[in-house]
Amino acid sequence: MDFKWTDEEQAFRERLLAFLEKTLPDDWERFSQHGPASPELTRYAEEFCGKLADEKLLTPHWAKEIGGEGLDPWHQTILAEVMWIAGEPRGGQYMNVNWIGPTLMKYGSALQQEQYLPEIVEGKALWCQGFSEPGSGSDLASLRTRAELVGEEYVVNGQKIWTSYAGLAGTCFLLCRTSDDRKRGITILLIPMDTPGITVRQIPSLIGEGDIHEVFFDDVRVPASARLGDEGQAWEIIGYSLTNERLGIPRYSLARAALDRAVSILEDAGDFDDPGVRIEAGHAAALCEASRMASYAIVSKRAQGEKIGAEASSARFATIMAERRVAEFVSEYLPEALCDAHPYLKMHHQRGIVAGIAAGAAEIQLNIIASDVLGLPREPR
Amino acid sequence: MHLDFTDDQRAILDALDSLAKPFESAPIHDAPLAATSAELNSAIVEGGFLDVAQDPDLGTTTAAIVIERLARLPFAVEAGASAMFRPLLSDPSSQPVCLVDERHLARPVRFLGEGATIIVVGDSVRKFGAEAGVVHSEPEALFAYPMAMLSGVPDDAEKLNIPVGEAKVRWQVAIAAEIAGLLAAALKSTCEHTTDRNQFGRPLATFQALRHRLAEAQVRTNGVYWLAMKAASTLDPADAAMAALHAQESAKNCVYDFHQFLGAMGMTLEHPLHLWTYRLKALIGELGGRGAQAQCVADKLWPAR
Ligand SMILES: Cc1cc2nc3c(=O)[nH]c(=O)nc-3n(C[C@H](O)[C@H](O)[C@H](O)COP(=O)(O)OP(=O)(O)OC[C@H]3O[C@@H](n4cnc5c(N)ncnc54)[C@H](O)[C@@H]3O)c2cc1C
Repeated sequence: MDFKWTDEEQAFRERLLAFLEKTLPDDWERFSQHGPASPELTRYAEEFCGKLADEKLLTPHWAKEIGGEGLDPWHQTILAEVMWIAGEPRGGQYMNVNWIGPTLMKYGSALQQEQYLPEIVEGKALWCQGFSEPGSGSDLASLRTRAELVGEEYVVNGQKIWTSYAGLAGTCFLLCRTSDDRKRGITILLIPMDTPGITVRQIPSLIGEGDIHEVFFDDVRVPASARLGDEGQAWEIIGYSLTNERLGIPRYSLARAALDRAVSILEDAGDFDDPGVRIEAGHAAALCEASRMASYAIVSKRAQGEKIGAEASSARFATIMAERRVAEFVSEYLPEALCDAHPYLKMHHQRGIVAGIAAGAAEIQLNIIASDVLGLPREPR
Repeated sequence: MHLDFTDDQRAILDALDSLAKPFESAPIHDAPLAATSAELNSAIVEGGFLDVAQDPDLGTTTAAIVIERLARLPFAVEAGASAMFRPLLSDPSSQPVCLVDERHLARPVRFLGEGATIIVVGDSVRKFGAEAGVVHSEPEALFAYPMAMLSGVPDDAEKLNIPVGEAKVRWQVAIAAEIAGLLAAALKSTCEHTTDRNQFGRPLATFQALRHRLAEAQVRTNGVYWLAMKAASTLDPADAAMAALHAQESAKNCVYDFHQFLGAMGMTLEHPLHLWTYRLKALIGELGGRGAQAQCVADKLWPAR
């Protein structure tokens, strides 16, 4: 066991920090409150990701033969941490480089790869992920949006909800039903968002403007060539996508940075002598560190080429615990941060609030841990 | 960074596991609550497992690995203090090693008995050998460690050349590594029981009210393990404080649940659960408990400017 970063890993982190230092605008902290899916940040992200791409820092963890630098999962983690602590200046593009690009490379047709990959690699694409529906959240496999093959076209009817980035995205990675088989009846279509019949409605949210949407599909027609993989292959394909994404966003990193910031503000105000406050800060820090280490244990396995399974859910739940404790610490001892006094802390609060819901709810993680880490008998259905 | 075991660590763990194999099942016993084994103890001492940290290539990380693994056994073995402190002592001091917090001299001390090596951590770090007169054994104690009270620290206790801060760090690491092992074993035992026991026509472990709390215990146990290993590796005061804090907090969160999920069976001495949980209860309060640990985290992470 070696808990030290190698010189090379450390240098990579410093290179990224130097890049941020020279690239981000002076008022970035306030600006980043717009939220990752806001029009402002999305526009900025295009400029930012273009610069990242110029420095070969947009897809450094992709294999060399597909335009990356072939860096290992530790570098991917460092990249994700640095960006997330900074308020994710890549906006929604982090999804492209983390899983949409790699999934297209594995399952996409030559035509699809030609159509979509160059934009991703240049930092110009924005995708949205059309999975959840009003009746299908945690129980994703119950989804009902239909795609019917009529001649050479699919005709799509149905509704998605909570779709991040849908307002500005160019393309939707859409899950839809092509047969009644629960999981093997689901198919992926890659649909340009300007296709007639698509209506997007923004849902006002606690996270910030432009973040989540409803997307309606009314007789939306796309050529059969928009299908990714085969009919019914969606469950397998998203399983693969998730292997790159199982840990999700390294939320512990921003949570800890926010905690450090909060403590420093409290200290300046002479409010960090209270033992009650100090004890609470200590607990929050320990949870952030436990989350970080649980995640690193998984990154370490990935770096050894081992397959990652349910233990990722354990690391995710640890992250939810940390996010919650830090957010509660700030609300309790620095309520002015939830007004306008400390933009960085407000930004953390807005983003942290979704940790236990987005990308798989907390209780679902616990269900997975119970069955697949602890090996307990399953609940009857 | 890489977090898998080295070949040496794997070899040591294999040797430890095969030595410990005969001691994996719980002894049938009544009072006292603690299960101890002189045979297991001497095998571990003679096998050199408590001295691994003296080898710089193995270091305190390997010591923590040994402590964690031994804590999973139903038998209480004094490993934490020995494995973390013996490398610092110039003369070979006899095991058991007992750590005493000078601020709380009236509290019971684990493994204390005549002939034990006592290390007192206060304004300085001092050492003495326990003589019969200062030890008052507590055979009825509600802990699964052998416990005794210390009636005083002799004036001529030897002052050790160990900074107080370092002694605390090593103690915190020992607490965290031991709690990690105890939690893992208690969790396993509870999962086995709730899988085997049926009520309402199905295993208890299929009820979500239990599953979620067990899953959360897994998350905590995993976190304690990794914080303990990291702190053992860095010996950084903030890492050690976070490890001890998360360990004590997690022990507090889990112990009640584990007993609860066993129903009346969890109240018996015939089921081994208490052999782990009643050790956890002793460790929750060590070195001042969670409040002291949390304040220590704050002191070390954010020193006064
Ligand atoms: C900010 C944000 C962004 C999102 N972005 C996207 C996106 O881009 N694309 C997309 O497709 N989706 C997106 N989602 C949706 C997200 O994936 C879902 O919210 C999530 O899967 C949970 O589904 P739900 O909201 O319907 O909650 P529900 O499934 O209704 O769950 C509500 C509560 O019930 C619990 N629960 C559900 N089932 C069980 C069970 N079996 N046992 C115990 N408890 C249970 C849950 O854990 C949760 O606590 C986003 C969500 C948020 C908050």
